[in-house]
Amino acid sequence: MKYMVMIYDNAQTRERFFGEEGAELMAEVNAIMKELTDSGELIGGEALADPSNTRTIRPVDGVPAITDGPLAEAKEHFGGYLLLECETIERAAEIARRWPSSRFTPLEVRPVMSADGAEM
Amino acid sequence: MSPSPAHPDAGAARVEALLRELAPRTLGALTRRHGQFDACEDAVQEALLAAALQWPQDGVPADPQAWLLTVAGRRLVDGWRSESARRAREESAAARAVPDAHVAPGADVEAAAPAPEEDDTLALLFLCCHPALSPPSQLALTLRAVGGLTTAQIASAFLVPEATMAQRISRAKARIRDAGTTFALPPAGDRATRLGVVLHVLYLMFNEGYVATAGDTLARVELTREAIRLTRLLRAQLPGDGEVQGLLALMLLTDARRPARVDARGELVPLAEQDRGRWDAGEIAEGVALVGDALARAPLGPYQLQAAIAALHAEAPSADATDWRQIVALYRLLERVAGTNPMVKLNEAVAVAMVDGPRAGLVLLDGLAGGLAESHRLDAVRAHLLERDGDLAGARDAYRAAARRTTSLPERRYLERRAAALPGGDGEA
Repeated sequence: MKYMVMIYDNAQTRERFFGEEGAELMAEVNAIMKELTDSGELIGGEALADPSNTRTIRPVDGVPAITDGPLAEAKEHFGGYLLLECETIERAAEIARRWPSSRFTPLEVRPVMSADGAEM
Repeated sequence: MSPSPAHPDAGAARVEALLRELAPRTLGALTRRHGQFDACEDAVQEALLAAALQWPQDGVPADPQAWLLTVAGRRLVDGWRSESARRAREESAAARAVPDAHVAPGADVEAAAPAPEEDDTLALLFLCCHPALSPPSQLALTLRAVGGLTTAQIASAFLVPEATMAQRISRAKARIRDAGTTFALPPAGDRATRLGVVLHVLYLMFNEGYVATAGDTLARVELTREAIRLTRLLRAQLPGDGEVQGLLALMLLTDARRPARVDARGELVPLAEQDRGRWDAGEIAEGVALVGDALARAPLGPYQLQAAIAALHAEAPSADATDWRQIVALYRLLERVAGTNPMVKLNEAVAVAMVDGPRAGLVLLDGLAGGLAESHRLDAVRAHLLERDGDLAGARDAYRAAARRTTSLPERRYLERRAAALPGGDGEA
């Protein structure tokens, strides 16, 4: 089953990762990425640029309109993801729990929908 | 293969079918001689790729198996040479000579002595379905080492990137090496348990392909075909085993329904509404004969019982005209043979509802909450039974609960459609 680990962050988390203690945190990230690559569980993953670079598209009276900036002032923004193939959601959640940003900001794990279907 | 010098008209598809047949024999012969399953597997895969490129153009060699063994043997020796050369550079200049232990006897000489290939294929299946591996790894390795599929083909069948699949396979091989496994049949005491794992892997392989509905269907349907082919191969090695035969029957009887389980728009069609005229009569006839024969002469087992249930469905002209009483009895027997299993209980509840009415089925469902890994199936069955019982509001809630829980797009569409179709709801259908 495929799962997406959605990584949320805020300005403080980003500063940590890109600041003084960032090297240690990135070493943790790299170690987990290597482990997931070796285990054949990693399908993909990306980090997103700072939320200030966002364009938001939202319906205004039923017409989609584009504005600068993220969706709303939020405590956390969607900052990146991992796409995994794991045997259980417990395994995927355990990987997310070990992701170093989990000590500062939340992550979510959700199954990816598939085109497979069983007879009902 | 005929001993004629070459078949210049050999199409790529014919070559591929031939290569898949020869893959386990070649790998078996090579591994039995040299040990080192992981290195041999790489060498054979390279030989298969070379043949897939060369044979369609130049024709199939007179003795294709010998050709593969020769090429794979050379690759193996080349691998050892470059490996020892690397070590020599790293360690010392004195280690420049290739150590005797690493020099394989000439591959051409070996090819002259054909192997008892039946035993090899069986041993390979046991090796790839080693209990130290996770089911996804067992599946991938079996497809590559026994099935002769390339990593790219396996990756596209499982809808993951090739790099992910390559990693899974090489890790599986490393695990087998680390477990110190020798290339031989498991000891007699372990044989039954290990065969159980092999059958389960083949069953999973079949199911992975069977549930495909759209998109990359072609690559995934390949998995059902490959599972059936490998189970036939296994049956040829163990002709007396009732469970191997039962599994083959179950696959054929299930696969027979494939043309009818999805409609022209790619939507799921439930068993009761399938156009039975589109079921594959040839597969049904073969499956029914196989399961009948197994039940008559072999000790009873779970695959035979599931095949017997599939046979009752396959032979019924409609859902209503199905021998549900017999199906209930078979599910109860299945529980006695294989132990309590919530999926079996769920299916039994469906059958009980057909015999004694929806309320009797609903009572059985009450004991199941929480036991099912795929909890949306419980809600879906409850919804169907509530609908038949006339509790439309309850049915709608249960369909919607199932729709929210499933991770399958076609299942979600089917369940939403059923909910919307109920009279008095907010749906139009």
